[in-house]
Amino acid sequence: MPIDWKEYNAAGVWDELIAPTGRARPGAGPLRKMLARLSDVELGERQAAANLAIRAMGITFSVYNDESPNAIDREWPFDIIPRLVQRREWEAIERGLKQRVAALNLFIDDIYHEQRVLRDGVVPRAYIEKSREFRPQCVGVDTPNGIWSHVCGSDLVRDHDGTVYVLEDNLRVPSGVSYMLENREVMKRVFPELFEHLAIHPVDDYPRQLSRCLAAAAPDGVETPRIAVLTPGIHNSAYFEHSYLAQTMAVDLVEGRDLVVGDDDCVYLRTIEGLVRLHVLYRRVDDLFLDPETFNEHSLLGAPGLMRAWRAGNVALANAPGCGVADDKVIYTYVPDIIRYYLGEAPLLPNVPSYRCVEKSERDYVLDNLDTLVVKPANESGGYGLLIGPQATKRERARFRRRILANPRNYMAQPMLTLSTAPTWADGRLEPRHLDLRPFVLSGHERYVTMGGLTRVALRKGSTVVNSSQGGGSKDTWVVDSTATAPRARR
Amino acid sequence: MPTPRTLSRVAESIYWMGRYLERAEGTARVVAVNANLLMDLPAGASLGWRPLLDIAGAGDAFDARYAHTDERNVARFLTGDTANPSSIASSTARARDNARIVRGAMPRVAFQYINELYLFVREELAGQPSRSRRGAALDGVARRVQQIEGFLSSAMLHDEKWQFLRLGNHLERADMMTRIVDSLARHPNADGGLPSFEQLIWRSVLQSLYAMQSYLFSTQGQVEREPVLQFLFANEAFPRSYAGCLRSLRFGLRHLPRNVAPARVCERIVRHLKAAHPQRLDGTALHDFIDDCQIQLNALHEAISNTYFHFEPAAPPRGSGEAPA
Repeated sequence: MPIDWKEYNAAGVWDELIAPTGRARPGAGPLRKMLARLSDVELGERQAAANLAIRAMGITFSVYNDESPNAIDREWPFDIIPRLVQRREWEAIERGLKQRVAALNLFIDDIYHEQRVLRDGVVPRAYIEKSREFRPQCVGVDTPNGIWSHVCGSDLVRDHDGTVYVLEDNLRVPSGVSYMLENREVMKRVFPELFEHLAIHPVDDYPRQLSRCLAAAAPDGVETPRIAVLTPGIHNSAYFEHSYLAQTMAVDLVEGRDLVVGDDDCVYLRTIEGLVRLHVLYRRVDDLFLDPETFNEHSLLGAPGLMRAWRAGNVALANAPGCGVADDKVIYTYVPDIIRYYLGEAPLLPNVPSYRCVEKSERDYVLDNLDTLVVKPANESGGYGLLIGPQATKRERARFRRRILANPRNYMAQPMLTLSTAPTWADGRLEPRHLDLRPFVLSGHERYVTMGGLTRVALRKGSTVVNSSQGGGSKDTWVVDSTATAPRARR
Repeated sequence: MPTPRTLSRVAESIYWMGRYLERAEGTARVVAVNANLLMDLPAGASLGWRPLLDIAGAGDAFDARYAHTDERNVARFLTGDTANPSSIASSTARARDNARIVRGAMPRVAFQYINELYLFVREELAGQPSRSRRGAALDGVARRVQQIEGFLSSAMLHDEKWQFLRLGNHLERADMMTRIVDSLARHPNADGGLPSFEQLIWRSVLQSLYAMQSYLFSTQGQVEREPVLQFLFANEAFPRSYAGCLRSLRFGLRHLPRNVAPARVCERIVRHLKAAHPQRLDGTALHDFIDDCQIQLNALHEAISNTYFHFEPAAPPRGSGEAPA
């Protein structure tokens, strides 16, 4: 037996599988029992089998470093111990996410139209006007159904007292969903017996849902829209995912050079038969690289004229350009107000308590408590550019103090949460490792939330950085019915 | 769903994937068969490993990297050396690069098989494997390529993309076949030298192309220069013969739109073959004929490329919904 569960838990940390007494949390019983039955060697063998499957299936992501000009293709780091979420709790989270994404889409649509939210003083106008992600080119554009962020990935974390918070919303080009789907495939190979004994909700409906969501975004009057996924190309870190999604939706995976925008402001694909009209583009390229006519004139990743075709309503871009205005980390602090304002409802999922450096009293508090807070810039992602106060050196804190004072609008701060853990295979034994969860929310004619999401885990002991580019791995996420496990045999 | 159409870039990648897979298999066979042949030929009767470099058209590139034309160096150069763009290692890496691009257009496990081929080559043919290990690895390469092609044939939708895969396969196969014949037909024993060695050489040509049984069945004769050449160039029923490859190329082009230009080139190649009777040509004339074959195959490649991969499509008409086909 690889672990004594009574010795497992660290004080003051919430574990997703094991309660402080060493007993399983509701729904985790069969998994805990099975882990107890397997020897260290057997568990190690299963981890090795998973690694082998990932290698053979070519599940990779690309990383860049300073030594090599090209991306290095790495196998996806995966931990075989799943993370469990109870169905009941998940349903509540699902409702909260739908509410949040509904409000955020209303917010973006409002920002590019009447700006009622600014006029009514719910969000200060200056934040929007100075936001790096506000795109004047999007003002006045009507998107089908008023949806701007068709695919949203919100990061959830659980603190030591069990509360689930939304840490951030990724409204632009969130990635990771293909790994969620592949993780499940790998798990079925590695632990087939567990799938018999637990009622685990399947996740593989996502490609169909995504395809429906994209079709719903098609220009008016197009009954059978032609859809494509736009990738920056084979060297992009998420290329595997782009290709995976195109494949599972049975649509073309295109690059900028495959697209032509005609004088008629329509978008065409270069095919062996000539040009063919395209109606919906699920673009996995950042706004600023989409269209050299409008944004970065040197970009080869998009296609000249894409923005004019979008503005004319001849092609849907998902997500729409300009969405980033709502995943600014300072705007994040207003999301609870945004939900109340547009929906007239209390937010179902809490934000992590946050301080806005632009407001003097809050800024003073942040500057006085840099050693206990996490400070985040408004527009970075991937875990870059932030200060983790308790782990930072004096010099780093001083540098952040200067940065905050120079540009207070660009910073917000949060208390350091203790992310929850789950048992993770670490060099021959199971140890707790910190994790988060990224569910994906689709907005089309209706809203859809993935069953669970992508669990990212910090593989280094004590680390809370879960990004795959910085030593993070992932786990399969099981939404389980704790009441409906397989029936026990009658005696 | 709208009618599926094939992107030019995807068509090009799948075509090249077909060519590189075929190139890897062909090279594996040629190296393996040559190693066998050399064991049977007396030291003085052998041309050694030089002809293999000619098959790959890589003599100069080899000389720039290696001092001695011996088994060790040539085998390394043709198999695991990634600095040689036509080595097995390079071909499988490029086949995999192209497969990554068209991953979504194939059954899902197809990429896995191609990826496994790539990993196999990287593990088994890097460095200096022993002769027996190399032999097993070359066999493994050929078998894996056949598995991939067989799988794709049985599981892929036989649509336009499939035709491009087959065009790539057969163009490369035809080209490879002419190169194999060319290099070994130049062997001093191939053309009326010592009779037993002549047999050996033509047998190894047939073996390189998996043609031995087919040859024996269809000719019921001896393994000799003239009937072997006749069989390898003109027997349409044998899928790896020149005529067999041309038949597949014609068939593939027939199923593609806008095929006038490449189909015309293809017909010219067929007429060229019919007029030539290569089995009657002597050494130099045969070599010139094969040179022409390769030039024509290259012209066919150019025609396919200019028609489908790199062309400026007609601009969409103003205000129209759909562009003309």
